[in-house]
Parts: sequence; structure tokens; C-alpha cells
Amino acid sequence: MKIKNANDGALTNFEVLSFLQSRGASKEVAATVAPSEYKVFQYLVDTAVDKQTKESVSDLLGKVKKYDLAKAEVLNIINLRPTSAVGIYTIVEKCDARLGEEGAQDLADIVAEVSPPPEEPRSEEGLPQANDV
Amino acid sequence: MFNLSLIEHTLRLPPHLLSLSLDKAVKHDLEKLFLDKVIANLGLCVSVYDIRKIDGGFIFPGDGAPTYTVECRLLVFRPFVGEIIDAKLKEFDKDGLRLSMGFFDDIYIPFHLLPYPSRFEPDSENGNRFRWIWEYQANGENEDDQTSATVYPIDEIGETIRFRVQSVNYPSIPLEQPKDSKPFAPMVITVSSFSNYVWCPLLQLCFSILFS
Repeated sequence: MKIKNANDGALTNFEVLSFLQSRGASKEVAATVAPSEYKVFQYLVDTAVDKQTKESVSDLLGKVKKYDLAKAEVLNIINLRPTSAVGIYTIVEKCDARLGEEGAQDLADIVAEVSPPPEEPRSEEGLPQANDV
Repeated sequence: MFNLSLIEHTLRLPPHLLSLSLDKAVKHDLEKLFLDKVIANLGLCVSVYDIRKIDGGFIFPGDGAPTYTVECRLLVFRPFVGEIIDAKLKEFDKDGLRLSMGFFDDIYIPFHLLPYPSRFEPDSENGNRFRWIWEYQANGENEDDQTSATVYPIDEIGETIRFRVQSVNYPSIPLEQPKDSKPFAPMVITVSSFSNYVWCPLLQLCFSILFS
């Protein structure tokens, strides 16, 4: 076996999910895909990408162009869809220097506006199971 | 997280598959060969994305099956360094945590990459077991101020942790393994749940999101 091109293109989770769905993976029916592929499908379906559409992804891509982000950062944003400035801070390196706090908040607002919101994790406002020392 | 990789492979198509159409037979054989296997420096192969070219079909002397040279693209799972991923806690011990994504289980957070300060101590609720505790100081600068520390136990198996990929290693296959050791992991992802920037004014929210 010869590796001709180890990196022929990065795929967003959304693209992988649609590929697996086109091969016949779905939640209800016993899948026509291999068990390992089905496990990947199960993992992806539980994340936020289930509700994305092709239009929302290309829309998001167009809107973040002006922020001059690295490809990896854009990929992370599309996969995770941070709707708060904090999420942007964790993804973008040297966020303070490049975007500043307002830039990060703007970016988060764009993400929130373009893509449907992910399902809320247990609680974002309150901190779960915190015992005071 | 996922990449496409173009590979070229010489495939010997067993005769019992010759009744199928050529591309179906080749795909079937490729899947049997590559699916759910780790290829060094490429990643975990998830699926055969498409087949670009099938050449050849010669039957070598002394062989009963045709040999094809196939060029195809594989969908591989290979997170890049710095990527942020969610995974579930699978198990933990004094060296750190182990996380699982369902299709991939060898994700480790060594103890020095857990959020600081964390410690491994006897479980107050559960008698014999040990568990990891993360003690978060609400005000980062004031380290003497113990009164505002909140304690987060990290012990719920199946809880989702968001982490940043630190490195992806492909250890070489060992020649011999002692009997009771863990099964060999051909691809190991080391991750940290610790965010690099500590000067962000939104630190508290950041940690709660990183740890939700």
C-alpha cells in the first residue's frame, strides 16, 4: 500500500455525517453500514452538527472570512459552534491580540445567528455539582 | 477531526467475489482490509470514501486470483494538534483520565495536563474508591484566598469532557507483550483539559464550559 496524499482534504463533522447518512446510516433502521462506521455516526449525531445544513455552513464560512482565521480555527468553529465569546477564546489563538474582546463577541454573535443553536449542555449559567470548600 | 487520504493499494481479489460487479467487489475487499484499522501516521480509517481508479486485473502465474491496483480515498479520523473535541470519561486512575468517543477509546489526559490544581484522593462518599478532584480558585490572582475555592469532582463515568488535543502518537508494534498488559494501542491521543490563557477576564465561564 502506498500513501499518495495523506491529506487530501479536511472534512467538517457535518460533511462526514452527511456522507454516512448517504451510505445508509440512520438512527432507527438497522444500518447498512459497518459497525465501526455506525459508531462514528452515533458520536456525530449526538453533537451539535445534526442540525446544520449545507447553506448554514457555507454562510458561516463566508461571514468569518473577514476575521482572517487559520483553516484549523475555522474548522473548529464550524464543528463546535461556540455561541459565546469564551468559546471563541478557546478556539482562536492569541485572541486578545487578533480579535480583542469585542471581536470575539461579534464572531460569537455571527455564529449564533447563522447556525441553529446546539442542544444546551447540562447547565451553562449555573455551575453543576460545585461543593464549597 | 476527519481527513481524506489518497492511497494506492495492490489488491488481490479472491475468486468468490468475482460474481459481483468489479467496483462492489473491490470496495468490499478494501473495507475488509482497512475499516476500523489504524494506519501509522494516517489515522484511524473510518470509511472508504470513494474509488478513483482500478487498474490491472492481471493474473500472475501460479495464482488463481486477479490482482488490481486500486487508487482510492479513505476517510480517516486524525485530529490535529490544537483541535477541540468532546468525549466521554471512560475510566481514571492515579496517572490521569482516559476518554472515549465511542469509536475511539485511546484518549488520555495525563495528570500534569489536568486543570491546575487537581488531586487524586479517597472518595468521601464512596468508601474505598479514589477519584480526581479539581479545586478551582474563583479569583486566579489571589492564591491565598482559600475561601472562594470550589471543588469539582471528576468521577462520573460517561460525563462529557471538552479537551484540546496535545499530541497524536503511533507507538511501534511491540515484539512481545507481557501476559496481563493492556491491549496494544496503535494510536494514542494525549490531550489536555487545561486552557492556555489564564489572563482572560472571562476565566470562570471559560472553565465551566471547558468542563461541562
